[in-house]
Amino acid sequence: MHAWIARLASLKLTLFILIALGAGILMSYAEWMSGTWALAVPLALFALNLMAAVASKPAFRRQKALLIFHLGLIAIVLLLVAGRLTYLKGSVELSEGEEFDGQLTSFEAGPWHWWNLGRVHFSNEGFRIAYAPGVVRDKTRNMVRYADAEGREQHAEIGDQQPLVLSGYRFYTSPNKGFAPTFFWQPASGGPASLGTVHLPSYPLNEYKQAREWQLPGTGIRVWTMLQFDEVILKQDGPSEFRLPREHKVVVHIGDLRRELQPGDAIELPQGRLVYDGLRTWMGYAVFYDWTIHWMLVVCMITVAALGWHLWRKFSARPWDA
Amino acid sequence: MIELKVLWAALLAYVVAGSIGIVAVLLRRRPERIILALIVLGLLLHTWSIALRWERLGHGPYITMFEILTSNVWSMMLAFAIAYWRIPPIRPSAAVVMPVLFIVMGWLLMTNPGEGHLPPTYHTVWLYIHIGFGKVFFGATLVALAVSGVILARGTAYGASRFERLPDDKRLSELSFRCMAIGFVFETLMLIAGAIWAQDAWGRYWAWDPLETWAFLTWLVLAFSLHARFTLKLSPRAGSLLVLAVFVVAFLTFFGVPFISTTPHKGAV
Repeated sequence: MHAWIARLASLKLTLFILIALGAGILMSYAEWMSGTWALAVPLALFALNLMAAVASKPAFRRQKALLIFHLGLIAIVLLLVAGRLTYLKGSVELSEGEEFDGQLTSFEAGPWHWWNLGRVHFSNEGFRIAYAPGVVRDKTRNMVRYADAEGREQHAEIGDQQPLVLSGYRFYTSPNKGFAPTFFWQPASGGPASLGTVHLPSYPLNEYKQAREWQLPGTGIRVWTMLQFDEVILKQDGPSEFRLPREHKVVVHIGDLRRELQPGDAIELPQGRLVYDGLRTWMGYAVFYDWTIHWMLVVCMITVAALGWHLWRKFSARPWDA
Repeated sequence: MIELKVLWAALLAYVVAGSIGIVAVLLRRRPERIILALIVLGLLLHTWSIALRWERLGHGPYITMFEILTSNVWSMMLAFAIAYWRIPPIRPSAAVVMPVLFIVMGWLLMTNPGEGHLPPTYHTVWLYIHIGFGKVFFGATLVALAVSGVILARGTAYGASRFERLPDDKRLSELSFRCMAIGFVFETLMLIAGAIWAQDAWGRYWAWDPLETWAFLTWLVLAFSLHARFTLKLSPRAGSLLVLAVFVVAFLTFFGVPFISTTPHKGAV
């Protein structure tokens, strides 16, 4: 057993693991193999190698700073594992005035992620985005309204360096945003009217593709919607700001029917009445959850401080040219 | 533009200093005070040029390739100037390191000095901390390269005769190791500061973007070289080859990735 630990604690094995980790990163970077396995196997070996070394090498008992540095490396690997098992990364789009309902547009999550998104409530209260000449995006200011831990209503401005953090979930504004025509749909059957928005493709990335097809709720009717306006929103030759066009129209195709709508205009269909309410904006949010990030920062700082302390003591004990 | 003229004057001072340093080694002379004075003059002019540009554009030199090159020439020269001033026995190693800096300076002269747009995610103190740690790392690696270059040059009879007055290989190797160890600490701090910035700016602390990937590979190669040094009891020559490898990977990371990628950090632009 001891011989086995000694072999696992080998410093030459550490060198091999460092090469394997580098090779894994390169292979994953070149997309020759799965990043998970390319990193997980060398990192698992690294953790075992470090633990065996700490348990069996007398040098660690003599040099406390070196011990703390290596324990810190083990803790970083363990935190990485914990983070990957419980993380969440996703995205969600909210129209101006819309409240987040806990549903994400897309996501990936660790197998042990505890879904607390249902407890998160906030709404997008609109945004301002400055653009530099040449249509280069500058500062984003997004107003949000949310309920704090005591349930009190709060307002905040987020964007660029400032996420909204609720129950550990971090909501970041993204470059993905655009225009959202808003419609009322009143079914002829007398059911409840519904209000909905159509998130047109991201603007200005898809400046000339401001159209989308969608389905009327509770029906199989496909509606093709296109936004048209003539004015220049974002200027090439000067600073500007993302805003709604002053004048616009929405072109709607339902089967062979084509209509151009202004706010308040309606289309009567056998299945119900479709009213164009007006134009809003929508914002795409990147959502991130990883409870380990603060612990990771603390451990990293302790680890690097221990390394610095160890090297300082080592180097100050003897001049380099002695 | 005055800032460019001042920059050219600074580069001229560096080139004259480096050329004197190379010729001095070939002729076995030591005009060290002149070289140090020229380097300091170059640094003062270079600082003035960077300050003028910073004042004009309202942001530091970290957006365009021109700015990345000029700020790194400045920080590398500063790191080597400190080593040159504080460690007199290694001064002839200027003959090794100055040609490397000449290459970067030549590249700088061929680069478009036009201005770039400061992304909104760059309005953070973590940018300065991240870049500052990176510059200390690269400066320490450059000094290690200078010393290691002397060890490698001594592998030939001609090199041994030209660098005979420097301390022996064992001591130079120890100095090189110490510089690399300092570099390792600051490279680690650079990665940590970058992760804090990335978390706030782009909603993730690590995403394996090109610059992150190559910075971590540099960290791994550096960790390998430090670990191999005492695990394998490497000779000064083998240790120097590892220092050279670290410098090459670090150089590719610092200059190669921004050169080939318009968005070295995903979402940065």
